[in-house]
Amino acid sequence: MRINFKVIISSILLSLSHSAFAQMNIFACEPEYAALAKELAPEASIYSATTAMQDPHQVQARPSLIAKMRRADLVVCAGAELEIGWLPMLQMKAANANVRSTDKGLFFAADHVETLDQLDFVDRSMGDVHTQGNPHLHFSPTRMLTIAQALTNKLIQLEPQNSARYQQHFASFSERWQAASKQWQQRASQLQGMKVIAYHSSFRYLFDFAGIEQVADLEPKPGLAPTSSHLTKLLHRANEGDIDTIIVASYQDPRGAKWLADKADLPVLVLPFSVGGNKQSGDLFSLYDSVLTLLTQAHTAQQAS
Amino acid sequence: MKNLPVFAARLAAQRPVPNVKNAILMSALLPLFAHAQAPTLSNPAVSVVLDGYYQSDDRVMTERAKGFGLGGTELALSASIDDMFYGKFTSVFEFHEGESEILVEEAFMQTMALPNGFTVRAGRFLSDIGYLNNQHLHTDAFTSRPSAYRAFLGGHYFDDGIRLSYIAPTDMYWLLGAEAFAGKNLRAADESAEREYSSTGVYTAFTKIGGDIGIESSWQFGLSYMRNENGQLTTLAEHEDEHHEDEHSAGHDEHGHGHAAAYTGKHTYIADFVYKWAPNGNYKYQHLTLSAEYFRVADFFTLAEHEHSDHDDHHGEEANYTQDYHQAWYVSGVYQFTPHWSAGLRYGKLASHVQHDDHFEPQTLKETELSIAWHNSHFSTVRFELSHQSNLGFEHANNENVITLQYVMTLGAHSAHQF
Repeated sequence: MRINFKVIISSILLSLSHSAFAQMNIFACEPEYAALAKELAPEASIYSATTAMQDPHQVQARPSLIAKMRRADLVVCAGAELEIGWLPMLQMKAANANVRSTDKGLFFAADHVETLDQLDFVDRSMGDVHTQGNPHLHFSPTRMLTIAQALTNKLIQLEPQNSARYQQHFASFSERWQAASKQWQQRASQLQGMKVIAYHSSFRYLFDFAGIEQVADLEPKPGLAPTSSHLTKLLHRANEGDIDTIIVASYQDPRGAKWLADKADLPVLVLPFSVGGNKQSGDLFSLYDSVLTLLTQAHTAQQAS
Repeated sequence: MKNLPVFAARLAAQRPVPNVKNAILMSALLPLFAHAQAPTLSNPAVSVVLDGYYQSDDRVMTERAKGFGLGGTELALSASIDDMFYGKFTSVFEFHEGESEILVEEAFMQTMALPNGFTVRAGRFLSDIGYLNNQHLHTDAFTSRPSAYRAFLGGHYFDDGIRLSYIAPTDMYWLLGAEAFAGKNLRAADESAEREYSSTGVYTAFTKIGGDIGIESSWQFGLSYMRNENGQLTTLAEHEDEHHEDEHSAGHDEHGHGHAAAYTGKHTYIADFVYKWAPNGNYKYQHLTLSAEYFRVADFFTLAEHEHSDHDDHHGEEANYTQDYHQAWYVSGVYQFTPHWSAGLRYGKLASHVQHDDHFEPQTLKETELSIAWHNSHFSTVRFELSHQSNLGFEHANNENVITLQYVMTLGAHSAHQF
């Protein structure tokens, strides 16, 4: 009885999806994945649920997002529980079975790469951390290439008739990305050994890639806003004199950083967290370029002084 | 002049009783906490909400009594059952005057894979009428629901029934839904003790639309209708039931904790609106929520047929001194100005009618609430609330200002919030 029911449903879904394939609707949780989708499926209609000015941990499961997910053929998110506070609610309200399972039209980037800082044990007293590791993957050039390949496979799975086209888009992206990665690697090597105080573990992969050391975090615990007692502790650390700059992401409140910067006589660097985080970052390539340029400028200025 | 008899408007409330089966069920579930740290696909999400308070005085129709107390302490389990079904179970432990009760607030299954935007939910669940009703109490910015909810829905309306909802494939959010419920908590009083209630008493229909205005603002507007087959008071009883005089109005059931509505009627109409704003649409630091709802509960009594014909001539006169509807509304604004602090202001007004001897007398309740909350994280809130009320026609509510201190803490799974 149940099998029959499923057969009926899947045949209905199949007939529906064929008519919807005129233009694929892609729902991206974060702008970096909207940008990646644009590289790999430029013909699709792509919507990003958040901007680079918004904290991807804290998003309202708002009506517009439910409506967009209702119509989505593919949902692309960072995963590793980054969106756990809002994605499940959207999935439940959008009543779109096509994008509920990673077997179908749901794609989690973190499923396809090794994340950093995975934890065996998580307790809320540790702050808002997750066992699956740091989900802010998009500043790792090698991981992004792996994710691009996996996303291409997902696109082909959903639209096998367009396989050749997606392969072509990926080949083009891969070539450009690898060429750019070489340049980025070169520029990043000059940042090696740079020491920073940063906000959250937002740039964990960038620092990993560039050999930058985050010696302290503006957040006392992940997800908690800076407190005055914690900032005082950071000031002591900053007074040791080895820190180049204080880094905050485009969506983070710079006030704590500015206070510390004033007291410790350090510059504050606001880095675009994602595509659209500043004027220069129009796509993934220019995002990397802009971030590396800003870091290099800060590093050079600090060395000169 | 028509002679409307006094009746004892006791509620047909279903008082929950501590239940041995429940206790066994709960103790069987508790070992699951051992796995609560990392809910996975094979492991249900387990969450506990702790709610404790101190209140300086009693308030009309609230569940919180004067002094120290515990609010609804909640234990919830939820998981996908398989690829087709999702299930959730929420039990609420309540404590009133030395007695503990276990209530099942939610026990439902929901379809997850119906095509074309349809969803069916069945079992016990929160009705989707109005804005606040489908939200869990612990997510509220105030210690009590607005008087509209306390008067007409028993705080928040959950019941046994079924829901069909449909989300349209439109660019703008558009939801349509209909529900049918047993409706036992929304039954009007059985003044004759012989009343035959419909077993499926409540039907609802609702629609919601919503969208964004630019990047910073979002909104939702809803209209709901609820038909309650058992919602009308009948005035059949001719005898006066003296020993029930002291509780002759449902509205005076101030310490009622049975989740039954104090005022019911045949037709309930609700309009709701919510608007949210955050700078750059970033909810991490500051955000504002404005909401307003209007309730109208019409046809709350019906005249017995023989009386109706006998006194037909006077009907016009009757209508002159009483309106056949209750109404209530509120507006609320909550602003989170830092991740650690938020403040809310709410004003609400209830205009209801209570039966006195042979006629209905109007009552009004006006409440202003100021709430200030400190959030150490998403999971812990400590709230101070000052509530000012003025009323006409409520007997046991002379206190004008009430101070409430409350904490709300959630353990376990990080549950996603609704808009």
